[in-house]
Amino acid sequence: MMKTLPRAAAFLVIVGGLLALPRYVDNPYALHMMILLFLSISQGESWNILGGYTGQHSVGHAAYFGVGAYTTMMLLQAKGIAPWFGVWAGVAAVIVVALVIGSICFRLRGPYFVLASIAVAEIMRLSAINLTGLTNGAEGILVTDLPPFKIGERVVTDFMTKVPFYYLGLALALLTLLVTWGIERSKLGYYFQAIREDQDAAHSLGIPIARYKNIGLVISAVLTALAGSFYGIYVGFVDPPTVLGLDLSVQIMLIAIIGGMGTLYGPVLGSLVLVPLSEALRSNLITDLLVKSGLVSADSRTGQFLKENLAHAHVLLYGILVVLVILFMPEGIMGFVKKLASRRRKEAV
Amino acid sequence: MAMLEISHVSKFFGGLAANADVSFDVEAGSIMGLIGPNGAGKTTLFNCITGYYPPSKGEVVFDGRRMNGLQPDRVCKLGMVRTWQKVRPLAKLSVVDNVMVGALARTSSLRKAREMAMEQLKVVRMEHRAGFLAGGLPIGERKKLEVARALATGPKLLLLDEVMGGLNPAESEEIIQLILDIKARGLTQMVIEHDMKAIMRISDRIVVLTSGEKLTEGTPQEVVSNQDVIDAYLGESHA
Amino acid sequence: MAVFLQSLISGILIGGVYALIGIGLTLIFGVMRVINFGHGDILMVGMYLTYILFTFAGIDPFVSVLISFPLMFLFGGFLQKVFINRVLNAVAQNQILLTIGLGLIMSNTVMLIFTSDYKIITTSYSSSTIQVGGGVSVSWPLLVSFLITAVITAVLYWFLLKTDTGQAIRATAQDREAAQLMGINVKRMSIIAFGLGSALAGTAGALISPTYYIFPQVGSVFTLKAFVITVLGGMGSVVGATLGGVLIGITESMSAAYISSGWKDVVVFVLFLLVLLLKPSGLMGKSRT
Repeated sequence: MMKTLPRAAAFLVIVGGLLALPRYVDNPYALHMMILLFLSISQGESWNILGGYTGQHSVGHAAYFGVGAYTTMMLLQAKGIAPWFGVWAGVAAVIVVALVIGSICFRLRGPYFVLASIAVAEIMRLSAINLTGLTNGAEGILVTDLPPFKIGERVVTDFMTKVPFYYLGLALALLTLLVTWGIERSKLGYYFQAIREDQDAAHSLGIPIARYKNIGLVISAVLTALAGSFYGIYVGFVDPPTVLGLDLSVQIMLIAIIGGMGTLYGPVLGSLVLVPLSEALRSNLITDLLVKSGLVSADSRTGQFLKENLAHAHVLLYGILVVLVILFMPEGIMGFVKKLASRRRKEAV
Repeated sequence: MAMLEISHVSKFFGGLAANADVSFDVEAGSIMGLIGPNGAGKTTLFNCITGYYPPSKGEVVFDGRRMNGLQPDRVCKLGMVRTWQKVRPLAKLSVVDNVMVGALARTSSLRKAREMAMEQLKVVRMEHRAGFLAGGLPIGERKKLEVARALATGPKLLLLDEVMGGLNPAESEEIIQLILDIKARGLTQMVIEHDMKAIMRISDRIVVLTSGEKLTEGTPQEVVSNQDVIDAYLGESHA
Repeated sequence: MAVFLQSLISGILIGGVYALIGIGLTLIFGVMRVINFGHGDILMVGMYLTYILFTFAGIDPFVSVLISFPLMFLFGGFLQKVFINRVLNAVAQNQILLTIGLGLIMSNTVMLIFTSDYKIITTSYSSSTIQVGGGVSVSWPLLVSFLITAVITAVLYWFLLKTDTGQAIRATAQDREAAQLMGINVKRMSIIAFGLGSALAGTAGALISPTYYIFPQVGSVFTLKAFVITVLGGMGSVVGATLGGVLIGITESMSAAYISSGWKDVVVFVLFLLVLLLKPSGLMGKSRT
């Protein structure tokens, strides 16, 4: 009880700061970074509901992200349906997909859910490649113009700058945090965690485990689909590998794992680590730093090599991070911090 | 009418019969002891009764209702709950949260569930442990936590699977008192136990299983004087 | 009819290689209960090893198996000893994540070294075929790789059934604790199993390298196929994986012939989901509760 008030205050201050930020920052790159951060938080929090709280480790969340993104983009491109309507079609499609997956996999134990989740995502990816009439196949869907968003006759935004996307992304990230917060404080949260800790025990205590796993899956999938739709309209382009690929599924999962699974702020921490790191690699920031610091000369072979290759190395970095986290801090950054704190407390006593 | 009627229950795994044609009744408000050598099919019978396996043959009738084919969560909602021989704490949840999970079978309000949970923790004298992580408890307290969590679901019939296993005499005595307290509150219990002295003290009736079959049934006095039971147990200790 | 026979034969031939991949995965799973999500990436490493041996030393891909098998065995043993061994008692998701991470490291390290360009190994026989009559032809490299696969599988069966080490591996797979009580060095068996599994995957990589594009991300396709094969056959069953491999090979080539090559993987994955739905224990698996 003592902790709740300062925490809520800190949360409000941060949200207030984020709401005000575009007034003071108009650098598009800075806004872009923030939008990526919001997107990552939404992805991580969504996965966390199923993977972290319910203990069902989906390695196929790209399926929900991609179906959300594709439905919105297809409706926009082919029928001119505005994304704020199209997104609900995406959500409906994702609910159907999630329930099909759930009804097949949640009767089984062990690694089957993980395997099936990958298989379903791959079916989606391959279908997107092959159903060229609907999805434009491997070329993907490009939509450059969004219709202006109106309420009545008043144009709220015409999406010409990054600012409306910034607020949309912020709203999405806050929504996923709020949903997770609500789950933690409800019967759902208790039942999810009981299933994660011990299915048999949970079952004996009156929890219909298949139903609650499906509830977790649907909530997680719907939020992921919203993130997918947002990605689609923000980037303006979707194609099978970027929104339905296995790499994306792994990335989504990583956000929660690195930050700390089954904790409210774990995915936020994970995003704060992963987004800047991969952006720094992508934009050759690290190479530039190494060159500037005099550690590596820009013209040397090492310098050349780094410049050419480090930009592609962010996935390698993901791999190394996963291995290190699993071996040395399996509870993620949150768990690591908690352990340090409790050790210090013990020493103080 | 008995609270639980088990009639001709058999359970086969492949060609092996883990339970063969077991029948007995458990009267409301009584304590039924279930004993037998290792591998006699005691836990399998619990699993058949509580919905973890469907019985291959026979019928389980609880409170006038046929239970065959019901899932464990339905069985629990209908008022029959079991504990586990190998304790299954929800390790990363606190003690009170563990018990709350049980209480949430009766209410959706977290506040009410917490009150119910604290009440059950008092019953097992663990209210001072409420905030501890369940995974860090010593074995004696884990066993008591199992019982509190099961009680929180509001059962009519409690099935305890070796709840004294691995405990020291003082801890066992505490569990015996707890079982008798629960009986005094009017709950029916079925208890699997290896400690013969304890089972003789608490049970109203005892069923003896050997190799999946019911060897005999009776009051504790009848059972200890039964020659077949003596043979079965001597046989076990000679093996 | 010719189309049918042609697809059946190609299916069986490629199925032999799939069987190797599946047996490798199922061995590792059987002994350690770890699902190796980096299995396809190990195969990919095997492909690049073959590529290096061919390009820089002029060693024929099929002959290079003699070198890559032991090298990949050591590589697998190393992975087990340094990484996998530490998570044997951890929860399943940590094992899965660790192998995913190792897979990512392998594929992206290879990408840093070789770039993501497609490589091919062109041998004199790469596209040569044998006419067997009735309009049916057999690809020469596929036939050779199938024969090598058959020999390796036979030797592997002999090893598992007749040698002490093989029996110890099977005992460990059946019941790890009991095996340990009987004095079997379970840790050593795990290293051998992971080594063997990797050697089989690496060999499969070598065998397909004359007929496949070689690129760093090629592994994920094979990881998924390996899962389908082992689940189809029953997880942990070597015989099941052999059958499963051939079945998947046939399914693929049939659906490529009668539906379209773009959809053949979808057919395989749908089949996988059906198996999970209808008989999750697989063809050779015992049903578990």
